[in-house]
Amino acid sequence: MTTWFWIVMAPVLGGLVYGGERVLRARMQRRQGPPLLQPFYDMFKLMDKRTLVIHSAHALLGVVHFLVLWITVGAIFFGWNLLYIVFLHLFALIVLVIAGYSVRSVFSQIGANRELLALVAYEPVLLLVTVGFYLYAGSFYIGDILHHSGYLSQMPLLFLALLVILPIKVKKSPFDVVEGHQEIVGGVEVEYSGFFFEFLYMARFLEYIFIYSFVFLFGGADYWLGALLVIGTFILVNLVDNATARVRAADMVKISYLLALLLAGINIVWMLT
Amino acid sequence: MKWLAQFRKKSPWILHYNAGSCNGCDIEILAALSPRFDLERFGIVNTGNPKQTDIFLVTGPVTFHSRERLVELYSQIPEPKVVVAVGACTSTGGVFRGMYNVEDGIDRYIPVDVYVPGCAASPQLIIDGIVQALSILEKKNKAIEKPFRLFGGIKRIGKKISRLTMAKRIGEEK
Repeated sequence: MTTWFWIVMAPVLGGLVYGGERVLRARMQRRQGPPLLQPFYDMFKLMDKRTLVIHSAHALLGVVHFLVLWITVGAIFFGWNLLYIVFLHLFALIVLVIAGYSVRSVFSQIGANRELLALVAYEPVLLLVTVGFYLYAGSFYIGDILHHSGYLSQMPLLFLALLVILPIKVKKSPFDVVEGHQEIVGGVEVEYSGFFFEFLYMARFLEYIFIYSFVFLFGGADYWLGALLVIGTFILVNLVDNATARVRAADMVKISYLLALLLAGINIVWMLT
Repeated sequence: MKWLAQFRKKSPWILHYNAGSCNGCDIEILAALSPRFDLERFGIVNTGNPKQTDIFLVTGPVTFHSRERLVELYSQIPEPKVVVAVGACTSTGGVFRGMYNVEDGIDRYIPVDVYVPGCAASPQLIIDGIVQALSILEKKNKAIEKPFRLFGGIKRIGKKISRLTMAKRIGEEK
């Protein structure tokens, strides 16, 4: 029963995380920043605006993207198979990419291209992290993974690899080329407005929960360690976001493969031998 | 809904368009958004996307080249929306008034809600102008607002409204 409650509340939880992140980033720049509930104010305002729809399939794909992500997060809370969860998340992003290609806006098409590139960059690492959990815990099920502990000592390089790809997933500064507000006006979300933009806005909250739950799993049976890891990673990612400039799309893939994939691969080979 | 209208002033997203300005006012707008003046504390985000915009910040005296785009951007912003003319050129034409290649302010083309004076308008004035615009935004209804010139009409397809022909090109006007 409590699991269902948390699944229903997942977008609200993610919204609080997103609002807290905006406050944290503002404090790092020594300014006041928006209120904590700012994402919810944005949502209510978007409900009040007129909605421009390009074609109905485009709007529907945005909603489907959100719903599949919600199911993914629900599967995480239920403790299902981690491998399935990664592929379910992949499906959600493919839906978004199709939505991006389905309109004639140039920015939307470039955004969809870059979304695919980002997918190519981080997906292998995410899979290797999953494989690492399987090699140590002997099961893909999150419930079983959370019964063991000591992941950090066995998979330190996999954790570092996850840290490298984390900014790609939450669209933060060294790797925010997918969104690129100054360059391509938000990428795939450019043609969404009003009510249907809300679903993409909420999908971003769910992405936060999705990727930070991977960080949490590294704590294993020790939930406090997991929570500490999540908080530390959260602060680190925002610090890096404030301190770095954007890299080009091709460089993002290069960095991800040369650094993250290499680290993850070394760790996997080390665990196998 | 009436209840939702109170959130308009809590999260206004702005679109900034340069209609041939000298970049003086643009620099001041960016200064207002930067950490020193921190417009984000009002929930303001600088989206470059007209479809998710509430406040349209325009600078510059509308050169001949920029007027098509001005009307195009204006007609792509969904209602409710407000327009803020930043700087003397945008309000009246400023030092360029009466010249052959400018249009003496944006209010010949689109309805303006707030005029911010100054050459260049200081960040404090811009923030004041935006806060004035917020109180106007809260009272507006969602009726479709039309540009004064280059307006191509609104098509109705069944119950739906098509904005595709709302902004005309310059040659099509006559």
